[in-house]
Amino acid sequence: MSHSATHTRTLIFSPAIRIFHWFRALSILILVITGFYISWPFLVAPESNDVQVQSYIRFAHLVFGFLLTAVTLVRFYLFFFGKSDIERRSIQDVLSVKSWLVQLRSYLWSGHLHKAGVYGPLQFVTYAAISFAALFICITGLVLYANVYHLGMGGMMWEPAAWITAQMGGLAEVRIWHHYLTWVFIIFTVIHVYMAVWSGIRFKHNSVDSIVSGYDYHKK
Amino acid sequence: MDTHAALYQQGKARLDMLRQLKARTPHSLENKMMENEITRRDFMKWSASVTAMLALPLPFSSLVAEAAELADRVPLIWLHMAECTGCSESLIRTDTPNLDSLIFDHVSLEYHETLMAASGWQAEENLEHAMEAYKGRYLLAVEGAIPTANNGSFLTVGCKGHTGLEIIKHAAEGAAAIISVGTCAAFGGVQAAHPNPTEAKGVHEVIDKTVINLGGCPPSEKNIVGTLMYYIMFGKLPALDMFNRPKWAYGARVHDNCERRGRFDAGEFVEEFGDQGAKDGYCLYKLGCKGPYSYNNCPTERFNHHTSWPVLAGHGCIGCSEPNFWDDMADFEKPLGRQLLHGVDATADTVGAVILGATAVGIGAHAVASIFAKPLEE
Repeated sequence: MSHSATHTRTLIFSPAIRIFHWFRALSILILVITGFYISWPFLVAPESNDVQVQSYIRFAHLVFGFLLTAVTLVRFYLFFFGKSDIERRSIQDVLSVKSWLVQLRSYLWSGHLHKAGVYGPLQFVTYAAISFAALFICITGLVLYANVYHLGMGGMMWEPAAWITAQMGGLAEVRIWHHYLTWVFIIFTVIHVYMAVWSGIRFKHNSVDSIVSGYDYHKK
Repeated sequence: MDTHAALYQQGKARLDMLRQLKARTPHSLENKMMENEITRRDFMKWSASVTAMLALPLPFSSLVAEAAELADRVPLIWLHMAECTGCSESLIRTDTPNLDSLIFDHVSLEYHETLMAASGWQAEENLEHAMEAYKGRYLLAVEGAIPTANNGSFLTVGCKGHTGLEIIKHAAEGAAAIISVGTCAAFGGVQAAHPNPTEAKGVHEVIDKTVINLGGCPPSEKNIVGTLMYYIMFGKLPALDMFNRPKWAYGARVHDNCERRGRFDAGEFVEEFGDQGAKDGYCLYKLGCKGPYSYNNCPTERFNHHTSWPVLAGHGCIGCSEPNFWDDMADFEKPLGRQLLHGVDATADTVGAVILGATAVGIGAHAVASIFAKPLEE
């Protein structure tokens, strides 16, 4: 007994893009939670101060900070040099006024979204902005880190970190930018999840599924 | 020859040169110490501790002692700009004169508005004479910010009505080295805080020479005297950090050497002033300690003869040695992540503007959408 498939599927996101997406999501989640503790230590002190609460939370924050830095670098690399040009194609749309109008109208429940690559122009610009925000929060994070550990990698980063600190007007400025940028990620995440689900419903495709399995399904 | 040996020789040669110069007063440092009942032993201990503070090896302590005795050979001109004199006060106002204040007295102070007897035309003449007589070899110390708006007319000093801006530019020309004493001279301080109507600036922003910045409101007497000693000994500037502060004093954050650091790492925080945590010496981070963002040696050197410093006394660091600290570190009793954007009402105003603005955009978008939206039955 054979079933004929009712849907066709196309590969949207390569495994590398999907893996790094979820690494990034995981590190953002943990960094936001541990970051809020570092900003305002909300946990009650343990019975014994042999338990170094702040140290352990800082440890997690640093490790996942390095992960986010690594993913940010890899994603910049993949965008330019990845095998599939599905992301790069979207630049055509960004440069076309018509594409902007089509996408904005489609977001206002009017018409369909046609695009050359995988992203619409507004979506692409938002992702580009969040990538640069990630770069900036990683750099400010590394500057703060160079003040935490003075040997090894931290020590090697000291001179550039001191230079950046001077450009930004002091370590307090570095710290407060690092803090404000966290909110950019929180607000982005809410809108990002909403838009992924909404566009899947509105345009009848599997946008959320495709970042998990990689495939988009269409009815035959 | 290794670097330390070379530095030692350099210091030795410099002090031999200074010894040839005429002493300012017949009073030697030894006499002054005797008058104040400071023993030779105290003096050697002081020399050793200054040596350690400057991150020099112990053999240099004989050089430090020699430099202290020869301090009256280096002419020092001390100018007061837009300031409160707190930096001078912190150095000179001690109930028992210790070696730090004594050195300050012993150094060849050619002009200091707070300490000199002269006034009016005579004071002006002293300044002009000192700048002329010691041209190219005097040490210039500046206290206070330089107002620059309206061509500097917000600050005029002396009977001739020169602006601070004129005086500082003139004095800087003939200086062998320039030290900004305190946060105002270094970064503008409270005069330069928002909205800064006089456009007050740090000394280094109005002249084009290297300036040593000794941040602090006030800087500790140790950092002032240590910088003087370094210059007397070697005739050059010490290694400087990103904001031109001496690395031996401002190389580490307050947080790095804080005696309460263990409490921080353990997650033990004072929740409010006077609670049990405060009594047990818990970390003051949640009450706004800015030690993590401030470079200074307060935890190790302390103030008032090594007696105490803010965190030991139970209040967090307010970051007074950092650039723009009045704006950046406020609120002083809240962590940075909890600071208000402005005052309470102004912050409410900003938040309100964002909420109402977003609402207007939302209503607008909905209205536009309902024009384009296709009817339901389609």
